[in-house]
Amino acid sequence: MNYVVAGYTIVLSILFLYAVQLVWRRRRLTRAVERVRAASAPDRADRSPGRP
Amino acid sequence: MTTNTEVVPIGQSTAAPRSPFPSPRARRVERTVGITAAVGTALTVWLGLWITPPDTTKGNTVPGDLVRLVYIHPGVAWVALYLAFGLAAASSVLYLWPRTRSLFWDRLAAAAVEVGVVFNVCTLISGSIWGRPTWGVWWAWDARLTSTAVLLVLFLGYLALRRVPAEPEVRAKRCAFVALFASVDIPIVHFSVLWWNTLHQGATVLNPNLSPTIHGSMAWTLLLGFVALTLVFAWMLLVRYRIGVMEDWLGSGEMDVALTERRAEGVGDPGAPDRAAGGRAPRPVAPSPSPAPPDARTDGPAPTAAGGPTDGGVGAVPEAAR
Repeated sequence: MNYVVAGYTIVLSILFLYAVQLVWRRRRLTRAVERVRAASAPDRADRSPGRP
Repeated sequence: MTTNTEVVPIGQSTAAPRSPFPSPRARRVERTVGITAAVGTALTVWLGLWITPPDTTKGNTVPGDLVRLVYIHPGVAWVALYLAFGLAAASSVLYLWPRTRSLFWDRLAAAAVEVGVVFNVCTLISGSIWGRPTWGVWWAWDARLTSTAVLLVLFLGYLALRRVPAEPEVRAKRCAFVALFASVDIPIVHFSVLWWNTLHQGATVLNPNLSPTIHGSMAWTLLLGFVALTLVFAWMLLVRYRIGVMEDWLGSGEMDVALTERRAEGVGDPGAPDRAAGGRAPRPVAPSPSPAPPDARTDGPAPTAAGGPTDGGVGAVPEAAR
C-alpha cells in the first residue's frame, strides 16, 4: 500500500504544483498586460478627439 | 478601444490578439471545467484508495492493493500520449496546412505540449512506482518504457526550440515540424507491447478486441479517473493557452519598445522616464501584413516635436512632417 500512496501523492502533487504555477503565471501576465494598457490609456486620450 | 472582455476569434492569424483577456463566457467555462476536474479527481482518489476492492486474482504474486494504481497511471498516460501530444500533432498539421494556417494552432500546440510533458513525467513516475514491487526494478529498458521516455525527450526538445528567439511565424513553422516528427513516436509507444516482448502488460481497455478485461466497480472507477484527468488536462490547456496569448501580446513588441525608449531618452522625450518607471510602454505596430489591435498597439504617445521615433508605430507621422 505504501507504493500506492506514494504514487498517488507524487502524481497529484506534480499536477497540483503545475496548476498553481499556471495560475501564478497567468496572474503575473494579467497584471503586466493591465499595466501596459493603463500606460497607453492617457496617450489614447490625448490623441483621440480633435487630433489628426 | 477594446475592453477586457473582448473575445479573441479562433483562427485569427495575427501575431498578437486584439485583447489577451478571455471573454466572460470563456472564464465561466474555464471555472466550470476546473471545479469539475477537481471534484472528479477527488472522487477518483476516494474510490481508488478506499472503496474499490484489492486485486484477489488467484495466483497473483504481487500485493493486491497495487492494482489501485490502475486508476491513475493509465489516466495520466492517456492524457499525455493521446490527448496532449495527439492534439499537438493535429494542431501542427493545421498550422502547416496553408488554408488553416494561424498562430492559434501554434499556441494551442505549445500549450498542449507543455501540459503533455507534465503528464508524461507523471506517467513515467507512477509507472516506475508500480514497476518496483511488480518487476523488482524501478526502471527497465523495456520497449514501452523506453519509447515513452523518448517521447518525453522529444517534446522537451520542442519546448526548448520554442525558446529560441525567432519571428512568431518562423518559430511556429519550426515547432510544427518538430511536433510532427516527435509524434511518430506515439503509435510506437501504443503498439510497443504488441510488437515486442515487454515487461509492461498489454492494453487492458484499448486492446485489439476493444473488450475491457476488468469489470465492476474497478471499471467504473477507472473510467471516472480517465474523465477526471481529461478534465484536468482541459483546464490546464485553457489556462496555458491564455498564458501564451498574453505572452505573445506583451512579448512581440518588447524589443521595439526598448529601442524606442532609448531613442526617446536620446532626444529628450519627457514621456520616456514615465514609461520606463511604469513598466512597458505600449507596443508599436510592426510593419507586418497582420491587422493591429486598435488600442495599445496603435495608439502610442504623440510623436515628438523633433520628429524622432515614437511609440506610435508605422501609423504615427512625426509632427514636423504634417
